[in-house]
Amino acid sequence: MANHSATHPKHVHHHFVDSNQQFESAKLGMWVFLVNEILFFGGLFCAYIVFRAWYPELFTQAALELNTFWGAVNTVVLIGSSLTVAMAIRSAQNNQKRGLEINLLITILLACVFLVIKYFEYEHKLHLGIAPGSFWNPTPEIAAVLDHPKANIFFGIYYMMTAVHGLHVIIGIALMIWLYLRARKGHFNSEYYTPVEITGLYWHLVDLIWIFLFPLLYLIE
Amino acid sequence: MASLSKAVNTVQMTPKKLKVKRFVPLENPTNTYLTDEKGIWAWLTTVDHKKIGLMYLGAVAFFFALAGFLAIALRTELWTPAKTFIEADTYNQLFTLHGAMMVFFVLVPSIPAALGNFILPMQLGAKDVAFPRLNLASFYIYAFGAIFTFLSLANNGFDTGWTFYTPYSSDTNSAGIIWVTLGVFILGFSSILTGTNFITTIHKLRAPGISWDRLPLNVWALYATSIIQVLATPVLAITILLLAMENILDIGIFDPALGGDPVLYQHFFWFYSHPAVYIMIVPGFGIISEVITTFSKKTIFGYWAIALSSLAIAFIGFLVWGHHMFTSGQSAVATTIFSFLTFLVGIPTGIKIFNWVATLYRGSILMKTPMIYVFIFIFLFSIGGFTGIMLGALSVDIHLHDTYYVVAHFHYVMMGGTLIALLAGLHYWWPKMTGKMYNEPLAKFAAVLIFVGFNVTFLPQFIMGAQGMPRRYYNYIDQFTPFHQTSTIGSYILAVGFLVILFYLAHSLIKGQKAGPNPWNSRGLEWQSTSPPDFHNFSHTPVVIHGPYDYHQPMEEFQLGLAVDHEYGDEQDEVAAEAHASLDTETTEA
Amino acid sequence: MMSEHHGHHIASAKQLWGIGIALLILTVLTVTVAGLGLPSPFDILTAMAIALTKAFLVAAFFMGLYWDTKFNSMLLIGALAFFILMVSITLLDTLYRDDIVPSF
Repeated sequence: MANHSATHPKHVHHHFVDSNQQFESAKLGMWVFLVNEILFFGGLFCAYIVFRAWYPELFTQAALELNTFWGAVNTVVLIGSSLTVAMAIRSAQNNQKRGLEINLLITILLACVFLVIKYFEYEHKLHLGIAPGSFWNPTPEIAAVLDHPKANIFFGIYYMMTAVHGLHVIIGIALMIWLYLRARKGHFNSEYYTPVEITGLYWHLVDLIWIFLFPLLYLIE
Repeated sequence: MASLSKAVNTVQMTPKKLKVKRFVPLENPTNTYLTDEKGIWAWLTTVDHKKIGLMYLGAVAFFFALAGFLAIALRTELWTPAKTFIEADTYNQLFTLHGAMMVFFVLVPSIPAALGNFILPMQLGAKDVAFPRLNLASFYIYAFGAIFTFLSLANNGFDTGWTFYTPYSSDTNSAGIIWVTLGVFILGFSSILTGTNFITTIHKLRAPGISWDRLPLNVWALYATSIIQVLATPVLAITILLLAMENILDIGIFDPALGGDPVLYQHFFWFYSHPAVYIMIVPGFGIISEVITTFSKKTIFGYWAIALSSLAIAFIGFLVWGHHMFTSGQSAVATTIFSFLTFLVGIPTGIKIFNWVATLYRGSILMKTPMIYVFIFIFLFSIGGFTGIMLGALSVDIHLHDTYYVVAHFHYVMMGGTLIALLAGLHYWWPKMTGKMYNEPLAKFAAVLIFVGFNVTFLPQFIMGAQGMPRRYYNYIDQFTPFHQTSTIGSYILAVGFLVILFYLAHSLIKGQKAGPNPWNSRGLEWQSTSPPDFHNFSHTPVVIHGPYDYHQPMEEFQLGLAVDHEYGDEQDEVAAEAHASLDTETTEA
Repeated sequence: MMSEHHGHHIASAKQLWGIGIALLILTVLTVTVAGLGLPSPFDILTAMAIALTKAFLVAAFFMGLYWDTKFNSMLLIGALAFFILMVSITLLDTLYRDDIVPSF
């Protein structure tokens, strides 16, 4: 039984009965992992909610320092990348090697665009002294608008949420590059595209988190 | 026998009919998972869940010995009210080290990752867990995280206690905190991966016939445990990350000096750490259910009550974390609600105890070592549970908070519960894992030593706690001396008990008698394979037609397997399988 | 070979693009509504309602839950339920304290 028999396709590991069982297991495993991810971010959202309930006026003031336009652009960028990942899975399901490669490349590109925009946002804020916790040292103009004693906490939460999310984007890019390299070698087809499917699930979750981060951080008027 | 195998030759399994035949496990297997691949490298790179389970067991035993040694040092220091032989600062670091190691290195992975890894796929009739490479990765992440945490704890002289409460942990010894939290973060990953793996395995890799109502209770317990691991551990990860950032960047969320809220840290921490005590104890419940039926030779009483109470404990476990924070300054509303909810945990736990005792009733009880540990478990865990209920009562807790009463309570639950269950499971499955028997009289002697030593150590702590002896104190007033000294003597007896176990288990590995496939005559699926099992657990695909505890059914009907493996559906393979099976029967009956 | 095809649903390109465009429109909508400056509880409520709709579209169609086994949807809903549990019980403390951060 240790060896693959003729009816056991090459990509199916020895302890699975068939390809479908392996695919369903991988997908279930990924969903369980996404449960982890949701509660991992959940901690940050909880801190956000607790502090927002305490200091609503702080959140209104502080959100003015965040650039809604670039936040919205980033939202669109991530939604676009989610679409291309879904298209990539579709390409794999239809045996379209070229389509899979192109869609993965666009996804990687969009993810990089997201990070570049994020980088400029960070850079701009740090330049103005809008830093978390004890590094809070705003320029006089900022301090005049944002004179709340707990402003540093808002940005502590802001930086933690966006940085942890950004880390997930970076991990996503690494996974997409790995998928792209495998796709070029022709590893995926309609019978076996499990890694594309489950990486896609991960990437959609990264998008989902941002869908909530955007209104919570940027859209408080 | 021939007529019987005809009778069960085809089994109706909706929607399809399966062709089955009987597979009697060999007495003397020639090819087992232990002989399959040899050499240290084969062990270190194996994806076999059994070997990974054993590696976990070894690592857990090692850290248990280390942390146990620290406990002996602590107890020795407490022999006199003032300094006995170590400095106060060292004492603070040692109890932190003892607590952190016992919780994160020993108790959390002990039953699921060590015994569970070995037994779970066998009880499901699967060849392996769903993601074998992830399983190996989780072991290395555990090993790396444990060594990393241990070195940083030992190097940086870390003394916050295992709970890392802010603001003490955000204002002192930043370097130490950063490294330790990183280590615990890594350990958390290992726990998450194990949980994810188990949930998927239980859902997707059950052998034909194992419906949800035929799932062994050990599997139900591991399922509940995995759910807690998956839901709670990520919150620990983010908490620990925030704490590390608190020290690296001073983000200020938890640090009152920067305007943050230290009590919020406690909420986050206990959102993980309270369910985590159920990560530690619920798998123990699973072992108790298995052992108690095998040695009572009787169907479990209240299968569904026990199975669902595991899930109920997992759920209620998430509602009660605030009872660790009655004196922390949380709001009176929260405190009252938490106190009320805490009492609810007693219900599913009580259901389990009553069902176990009812299982014993009119069973033909065989007093082997695992069963002795079950009785010890029920006795000690009931004490631990009842004192827990007392601590959940608001006014009582204000008096007892942070005293030795709490210390005694959680040792009764964690050591009297989890570790005793682990010992029960270890002795129960030892013949399956190694193919060897241990010295029964010596094992019983060790069990008695541990029972006596445990109570001598921890009963006096209830009394001193109630009289006001605070936990974690280096010095104490003279009136507590007799209690402390009794407790110290008890800890030495405990240590001797563990040394005896170490001795006879090592002896069993070298010179133990052959165990045979099913020394306890259990109906459990894991016992229908050879001892030690074959690399793929079974030489066939098992088919299950009865519940795991149906002792009123003949043994033959628990030894069925697919006559034709559905993956090799052609004619040739059928003949091969047939030949293999008849060979099995011949050798055993000769 | 692959007899049971659940989980192997292939979404059409039209469907996927439709969802993508719907998400885009909802993004524009949420920014516009935020610009209106609704009174206090309603601004956050509409923003969250729109975010939840977007999340639903992504989960159901991009992540394929609509065609998938129910258990995977249960996992997602369960995760959200436990997150809500965590937040609401924590709020039981933080909203009812006499001083927000005692001694500060």
